[in-house]
Order: sequence, then C-alpha cells, then structure tokens
Amino acid sequence: MSEKDQADLAAMERTDEPDLDRGIVEAWAAKMISNPDRAYRATFYVATIFFLVTTLFPFYWLLMVALTPRNRLSSVGVLTPGGFNPGAFVEIFTRLPFHRYIFNSFLIAVVATVIVLLVASLAGYVFGRLRFRAKNVLLLSVLVTSFFPPAAFFVPLNRLFNRNIDILRPLMQDGSLYNTPYAIFIPLSALYLPLSIFILMTFYSQIPDGLEDAARVEGTTRLGALFRIIVPLSAPGVATAGVLTFITVYNEYFFSSLMTDGRPQSWAPMLEGILRFQGEFEVLFNLMAAASIVAVLPVAILVIVAQEKIVSGLTAGAVKE
Amino acid sequence: MRPLNWLETQSEATFAYILLAPAFLLLAVIAFFPLIRTFSFSLLADQTAAATPFGEFVGFDNYVALLTGEALLPQQFLDPSFATPILQQALFVTLAFAILSVLFETLIGFGQAIVLDQDFYGRRWVRVAIIIPYAIPIVIQAMIFYLMFNPTVGFAADFMQGIGVFGSNPLTNATDSFIIVLVADIWKTSAFMALLILAGLQSIDRGLYDVARVSGASPWQQFKYITLPLIAPALLVAMLFRTMDAMRIYGLIDATAGCQTVPSMSCLVITALQNTRRWATASAVAFLTAVVIAVLVLLYLVSLRDTEAGVT
Repeated sequence: MSEKDQADLAAMERTDEPDLDRGIVEAWAAKMISNPDRAYRATFYVATIFFLVTTLFPFYWLLMVALTPRNRLSSVGVLTPGGFNPGAFVEIFTRLPFHRYIFNSFLIAVVATVIVLLVASLAGYVFGRLRFRAKNVLLLSVLVTSFFPPAAFFVPLNRLFNRNIDILRPLMQDGSLYNTPYAIFIPLSALYLPLSIFILMTFYSQIPDGLEDAARVEGTTRLGALFRIIVPLSAPGVATAGVLTFITVYNEYFFSSLMTDGRPQSWAPMLEGILRFQGEFEVLFNLMAAASIVAVLPVAILVIVAQEKIVSGLTAGAVKE
Repeated sequence: MRPLNWLETQSEATFAYILLAPAFLLLAVIAFFPLIRTFSFSLLADQTAAATPFGEFVGFDNYVALLTGEALLPQQFLDPSFATPILQQALFVTLAFAILSVLFETLIGFGQAIVLDQDFYGRRWVRVAIIIPYAIPIVIQAMIFYLMFNPTVGFAADFMQGIGVFGSNPLTNATDSFIIVLVADIWKTSAFMALLILAGLQSIDRGLYDVARVSGASPWQQFKYITLPLIAPALLVAMLFRTMDAMRIYGLIDATAGCQTVPSMSCLVITALQNTRRWATASAVAFLTAVVIAVLVLLYLVSLRDTEAGVT
C-alpha cells in the first residue's frame, strides 16, 4: 500500500466520525434526519405520554387532596399530599349520608335506563324494520329534540313539577313531583331517548328478515318476535344503549341539580352530596376530593369493562344522526 | 272468529304508530309541549311580586329588552352599546366558549386519534385513559378544576398568578374563570372528537397511502390530499355535536365559578328564574338559546351538504 493510499484511508475514516465533535442534541438531530422513521416513532411516544399525563394527572392530584389532613390543606403539593389521612374516605359517610346520595343516583340511573331501553326498543324496531308513510318526518322530529338545550324546556317543566296535582296525593306527600326521583328520571329518560333509538334502530335493522318471518310462521305475535328474536340477537346493541344511558344519566347535572332541594331524603343525587361539603362555615376540600373519587369509581370501572361498547355506541349514534 | 290478539289484526302502519306512542308521549310531555309553552310564556310580562309569575300579554317586548341590553337581569343577554363587559353578556360568553372549545377539542382530538390509530402494545389501555375524562360526571370534572384553581389548595392558581396571567382569586374573575371553564371542557371532551375522528381514520383505505407514497407524496401532502378530504364529513358531524353540546354549558360553570361570574345562556335562564323571579324573561332567554342553536345547526347542515356533494 502506497503512502497516498494510506492518507486517503485515514481521510475516509475521519469523515466517518464527525459525530464525535457534536453535542448530544446535535447528534440526536442528525440521527433523526438520517432516519425519519425513528423521528416519527419518537414524536409518537412523546405524544402518547403527553396525552396519558394530561388525562390521568388530575385524578392523581385529586387523590393527593383527599389524603391531606384538613389543617394542612394549604401544603398540598403538585405530586405529593400534605400529610397522610385516609380517614377522609370514612368521614364522607359519617359527616353526611354520602352513601344515600350514591344510592339515589344509582336508582335514578337504573330506572331511567330501563325506561329508555323499553321505549327505545319499540321505537327502534319501528324505525329500523317497518315501512310506513310518516317514518322520515317522525324520525326527524326525534332527531330535532336532541338538538335543543334542556334550558329551553325548563321553565314549563319547573312549573309542572312544582304544581300540586290532586291525583298524585296518595303517592307523594304534597302531590307535587319536586323532591322526588320522578322529577329527575322522567325528563332524563326523554332527553336521552333519541340516542338509544338511533343505536337500537341500527342494530335491529341488521337482523335478517328471514329470522323474524320464521318466528312468525311458528306462531309468535309481532311483539313476541321483537322481544324473543330481535332483541336477544341484538344483545350487543342493547348493552351499548344501556351502558351509555346509565353513564349519561349518572353524570347529568342540569335536571339533577334543579329538581330537588339537595337533601338526601329528597332523593337528591350524588352531585348534591359532593357540593354539600362546601359547607356554610368551612369548605371541606379534602372531603370534596374524597367524595369525588368514590363517586367516579363506578363509571371508571364501567369504562374499563365496556369500553368497546361505549366507543361503538358513540360513533354509531353520531354517524347515524 | 275473534282474534286472539288485537294488535295482530292491525295494519303495519297502525302497528307502527302504536309502538311509537310511548316514545312520542314522553317526548311530547318533556320536549315538544314545553318548548311551545316556553315560547308562549316569553310573550307575557314578568310579575316578580304577585302569586302567579306571569302578567299580561306583551308580545315581543321581552325579546326587544334582551337584545338591546335593557332587560332587568343581573347579567345581560346582549348589550349592543357594550356598556356591559363582553364576558358578562350571555350570547358572547356562550358563542366564544363554543367556538374556542370546539376548535381546541378538534385539534387535540385529532392528535389523540392519530395516536390511537397506530398499532402498539397497550393501545387498549391508552384508549381507556383517553376516554375516562369524557365518561366522568360533570360535577367531578368541575370539582377537579375548582380545587386546582382554588387559592388555598390548588397549585394551578399560584402558578398562573406567578406567571402573571391570573389574578389572586381566579374563580371570582370573569376572564380567568372563562379560561378555567374552557380548559376543563377541553380536558373532558376532546376524547369525544378523538373517537369520532378515529372512526373516520379507520374507514380510509390504506392502499391510498401506498399509492401516494409511490408517487412521492410527503406525509403532509398525504394528510392534505387523502386524510382530510375523506374524514371531512365525519369531522363536521362530530363538530356539529360538540357545538350543540357546548352551547348548553351550565353544570361546569355552576359548580366552579358560578353563574354570576361566567353567565352562559343556560346560566342566565336559571339566574333569571331563581334570583330575580323573572319567569317570562327567563322563558325568552331559553327560547333565544334554542333559536341560536337551531341557526348553528342549519349552518353546519349546509356546509355538510356541500362537502358530501364535493366528494361524490
């Protein structure tokens, strides 16, 4: 090998190692430019972590507030509690009957879900499987109701539910629906009915006609065919509508906060319980946080168990409408 | 022969109407009839002292008072003279909230949808984490942000005050509270946009991207000429839903800053009803809210029809 060749080789080796002179950031940037797939991958991980932190951090911090003893509330950190007092999770049930509020909320949500599923099954069957003249007009009027804000219905409903109705006297103390669960689940059943009608309509229309015909030949009535053949075969759709209705009624604020006086024996739902810790003389921040964590657990579990249903219901409902 | 079941003897149309009866009865009692009553109440005079809250027929006087800023309410619906600060006018508060929240939710939802569209280990759990804020009760969402921006407990109040953006008690200041409510809403409902955009993304034929790559299109060009036009209809439907929902904002405000600090249109209905006992004016505000939402829905439907016509 000649001297010239050796010099060339040395020069080549040197050009291969320019990274040695650069800082870490520059080296990383150079690598990313030479390999764009890696850059996309890195952005993707950064974005994922960013979304995870922003959605989950508030819950973590809520737990930190709940664990802080009341006299140390001003020293709650961003990542650490200002002390350790799990007793707050017991105190919420002793200071106020928070379990009663949760029970009220559950009862209202379950009754509303049952009403919605029954009524929407009948309507979904009609819109999904039957043919008649006024179908499109009626479907449009169902759709239109879901556009209006609850405030647009509130003044007359407030009057209606506060009026003393003589025929209700045997059922209600003063004959009015105010301070009863009826004043919450009746309006909410109506307002969340359209979503379930659209979900069930889609599912029911996909059952082949032959199955319904076969049942009819065997001698079932039309209603029998609906509840024995079509509803069981559309079980995933019914579950989707049920889960979504339960969650939306449990989470609702407008009617839930306006139709009772806020006392547990007046069937006030969970949201009044949480707001009640904002007491007259002292705001019990740690109890508000603890009560929020307890009340969020049922929906959090439902989301983890039924996330496929929620996703398909929300997308199907919206795309259909 | 006597039929065994009366329902079986009915024609298909009659049968359909009978099955629809419960649904329409419920909707009539809770929605159709109250909407008409709200309108008829709004044409009457207020009676704050008498036993019945409604006085004589005054036509559209309540609407005129609301739209000229002369209504006797703690906050105005619209004040064209701008003697009332803009964030104390219900129409502007609600419109600004709806436009800004839908804009940010669309952008963030797009980001979340792109992340969820990838195949990676643990995708199911990332999706759960992103959906959970959307599924939690409004009162708990409000509690989280109420505590964060509370001067005693919250770190966010100190931080925002430290960098000079917020005042010492942000939840009593109209501008600061508006921003807090906006951020809280974006935190909760971006997931809804993400899910609908994701459904749109997953319906796109992957072969289109291969063709684009072979023809030398950059990722930005692929996004602009394939992704965006194909998901535009789904995106507009999702934005329509979010806009209608944002226009109804009430609970989040009521449980954080309060309806006096951030008066949205639904808030104004309730304060007019409960604080001033002006039922007729409250009805007029409620009906105007419905009208504003109806106008927005029509605008969306027109643009939606255009995109669908453009695709085919």
